[in-house]
Amino acid sequence: MAKIVLRRVTKSFGSKVAVDDLNLEVEDGEFVIVVGPSGCGKTTTLRMIAGFEAPTMGTLHIGDTLMNHVPPKDRNLAMVFQNYALFPHMSVARNLSYGLRIRRTPKKDVDSQVHEIAEMLGILALLDSKPAQLSGGERQRVALGRALLRKPQAFLLDEPLSNLDAALRAQMRVELKRIHAQFPVTTVYVTHDQVEAMTMADRIVLMNHGELQQVARPERLYAEPANVFVAGFIGSPKINLIAGQIEHPDGASALRCLATTIPITPDIADRVRSSQSQGVTIGIRPEDILPCSPLGATPGQPVLSGCVEVIEPLGAETHVAVRVGGEIVTCRTPPRSGLEVGSTINLSFDIAQASIFDASSGLRLC
Amino acid sequence: MTAAVEPPAGDDIVIAEPRLRVLIRHVVTTGWLLPSVALLVGLFIIPTGYAIYLGFTNLELLGQYAQTYSFTGFANLQRMVHDPTFWYSVKLTLIFVIGSGIIAQTVLGLGLALLAQRVNVVVRASVGAIVILAWVLPEITVAFIWYSFSQAGGTLSHIFGAPGSDLLSTVPMLVVCMANAWRGTAFSMLLLSAGLRNVPGEVDEAAQLEGAGYWRRLFTVTLPIMRPTLMINLLLITLATISDFTLIFAMTQGGPGNQTAILPVYMYIEAFQFNQLGYGTAIALTLVLIGAILSIAYIRQLRPELKDATP
Amino acid sequence: MSADQAVAALPETTDPVVVRRRRSAARPVLNVLMLVIGLVFLLPLLWLILASFNPRAGDSLALPHPFSILNYHLAFHAGAGAAIGNSLYLAGVSTVIATAVSTMAGFMLARRRIRFKGAFLVLILFLTGIPVTLLLIPTYQIFVSLAWLNSRFYTSIVLASMSVPFSIWLLKNFIGQVPREFEEAAAIEGAGEISILFRIVIPLIIPGILVSAILTFINSWGAFLIPLVLDANPADTPGAVGIYQFMSANGQVQFGQLAAYSVLFSVPVIILYLISSRWLSGGFSFAGGVKG
Repeated sequence: MAKIVLRRVTKSFGSKVAVDDLNLEVEDGEFVIVVGPSGCGKTTTLRMIAGFEAPTMGTLHIGDTLMNHVPPKDRNLAMVFQNYALFPHMSVARNLSYGLRIRRTPKKDVDSQVHEIAEMLGILALLDSKPAQLSGGERQRVALGRALLRKPQAFLLDEPLSNLDAALRAQMRVELKRIHAQFPVTTVYVTHDQVEAMTMADRIVLMNHGELQQVARPERLYAEPANVFVAGFIGSPKINLIAGQIEHPDGASALRCLATTIPITPDIADRVRSSQSQGVTIGIRPEDILPCSPLGATPGQPVLSGCVEVIEPLGAETHVAVRVGGEIVTCRTPPRSGLEVGSTINLSFDIAQASIFDASSGLRLC
Repeated sequence: MTAAVEPPAGDDIVIAEPRLRVLIRHVVTTGWLLPSVALLVGLFIIPTGYAIYLGFTNLELLGQYAQTYSFTGFANLQRMVHDPTFWYSVKLTLIFVIGSGIIAQTVLGLGLALLAQRVNVVVRASVGAIVILAWVLPEITVAFIWYSFSQAGGTLSHIFGAPGSDLLSTVPMLVVCMANAWRGTAFSMLLLSAGLRNVPGEVDEAAQLEGAGYWRRLFTVTLPIMRPTLMINLLLITLATISDFTLIFAMTQGGPGNQTAILPVYMYIEAFQFNQLGYGTAIALTLVLIGAILSIAYIRQLRPELKDATP
Repeated sequence: MSADQAVAALPETTDPVVVRRRRSAARPVLNVLMLVIGLVFLLPLLWLILASFNPRAGDSLALPHPFSILNYHLAFHAGAGAAIGNSLYLAGVSTVIATAVSTMAGFMLARRRIRFKGAFLVLILFLTGIPVTLLLIPTYQIFVSLAWLNSRFYTSIVLASMSVPFSIWLLKNFIGQVPREFEEAAAIEGAGEISILFRIVIPLIIPGILVSAILTFINSWGAFLIPLVLDANPADTPGAVGIYQFMSANGQVQFGQLAAYSVLFSVPVIILYLISSRWLSGGFSFAGGVKG
């Protein structure tokens, strides 16, 4: 088991920069998920840790050893590939034991270990089958088994669930967490699905266009996104991003947005003032915007009046898109709220729960 | 694996791959490429270059000019231009390519491909197998079969209603073209079948709804869509037929007289029977030139399609 | 029943062949037409086979009477046996050389970054278009000066090089299709490069290698012009040249024996073609190794 440290790692292919100045420390035994849209550099980062690519600049350490050019076979890592990469000409048992056989483990040990893992993963009956005869979920378990058998110093997983259907995916998320609890090996997991990231990670590494956006625990990433991109990527339905301006009516400080003026505390005002531009982007989660009576629920909180445009009933809750002050705002309401398209609705929110970003740089102000 | 000295944080650090490993990798890569490069250079590129030179020399197979030959400039070229047999040979080559290749093989191949779409499975499979069998046979076998077939008293002469005549003497080009068509049709049939399969069924059905009959649909809808495939087919047939040696040589040795001496056969006769190696090479160069010109013409025809395909 | 019910009662099909069949009433005519064409194509083949079994074969189509394999005996001892042995040598050696050389080159071209790779590939493609007729005389001259004439071995090398450009293209494309992930998975499991090559890569590319080998073999088996010019040694005569010499030998053409000779010479190629076409239509899929 080992700590993985990337310092100032950059990878470029010709003139294209895939990973730009990445600094990352994965603690021993931690389950870290690297997530981001396609092309953000997450797979390249994983491949550098695995050894299939070498960093153009910067250093990679696994367990205190400099690993930039160490061949993959000498890194003592295990990887689960997106397409499983099971050797089609070998049986499941031989696939599982491949790594052990290379290390010339005695046959008796190989057989008992293979048996043990197969039992744990529920694939005992498949040991003599060839990969072609297996379903997607079964192949995935074999790929996992092959990785687990090696007892490596770290696991690398490249979008392992992306080829499974939704039901199987949900099931495997639980399994993977269970396996990690049983074998707490340092794990780096790459995905584009933010739900997997939120539910499974100890910490999330969010990347975009090769650059690190934020590294934090899932709750922190959700509640305190470091920039507009993070705020928009994490959370479903997507956070409401509203344009706003700082104003100073009668000496006090306020935010003007959605055709309303919201007074803000001096504390917030200071931090906002530190931004260069006058404009800000306000991020409010849909669950923080609540319907209220026309007179307002809490003093100090704005009351916005808008027209219901779209209603999406999801069963357990309903998403409502409301046109307020020229912009569309999404909020979450309990089911059976009796709303209709075209009706007027009053909404309210607490500015303290919102995230405020600089309008031009997108960085978080408070 | 050695732990390197920690580089100071904050600088742009570039750690290079160990030189030895890079070197070994380059050596292995080069080593694996070397045999094929050697073969290609030695037996393709050098002979090609040498041929371009030899075509302008007076090299001969035997005698004085076999040992010491010299560059003769355009002498061979002049000889060619004034050589009536050469021009006759060019004419024969064109007849052979157009007659047996372009007309016979393509028409037959297309016909078979179209028929195959609509006939009984058993008929399609069995006739297809026979036609392909003709294609798979070694060329010498085809030559022998058709040689025998067209002898006096042979089956072909019976069919033609002239049992006493040796068809290979009376209508040599015809026989030779028939033999080549018999041999090569399978290729067109397979290629054009694949092309037909790629014509979307809906287009044909839309034309039917518009009231177009079979032949009209064929010529105004199906064949135009298949144009790239047809062009490629023609290109490949042309290149293969224009340099075909074995079939004709084994059947007629270019005769009777020079009546079937297409360019490759003429080249052989000049080079190895009249010992004119230099002149023979010049003929071969001309052959390649003709092939190249035709290829460019075909590819030009393909370009509109290619232009549409790329955004 | 109403029109809708009638339509609904038709069995569901989207098979285009079936749909077309329903519309074409002219099918029997087409069947007959295709059969006639097939019969025309069959005649020469029929003659060949019948003549080979007919000790009194002439050049016209006739049923063998009596049916015997005398011709095969005679042909074999008159040189067919030796000639086919020579063809085996030429085709075999050239196939081994061409396949080995092309596989190595194809692998490197598919997997490694090489300077001028693009130009090299275009060059190879271009070389496939150069006809034998151009290379014949200069190669002959080169062989004269190297004293490589009249040798089965050197002739095989020439035959091999004829197939190399196409084989390299074939193998490079084929190997390029094999997902790299297999090699990467093996590498991360701890396998060394040589082990990966022999235990993982080669088993996966065997279909491609076989197709390339079979194509080269078929091409070299029927070689005529090159052995004719480069190897005048009578002991080295391969099948194609042998048949030709038999044909142009003085005296009556021995149709029956030549037919047997031709059949003997053609059968191996036909068998190989049958084998390889089954491979090709079976398709090359890395079933189960990767998704889909």
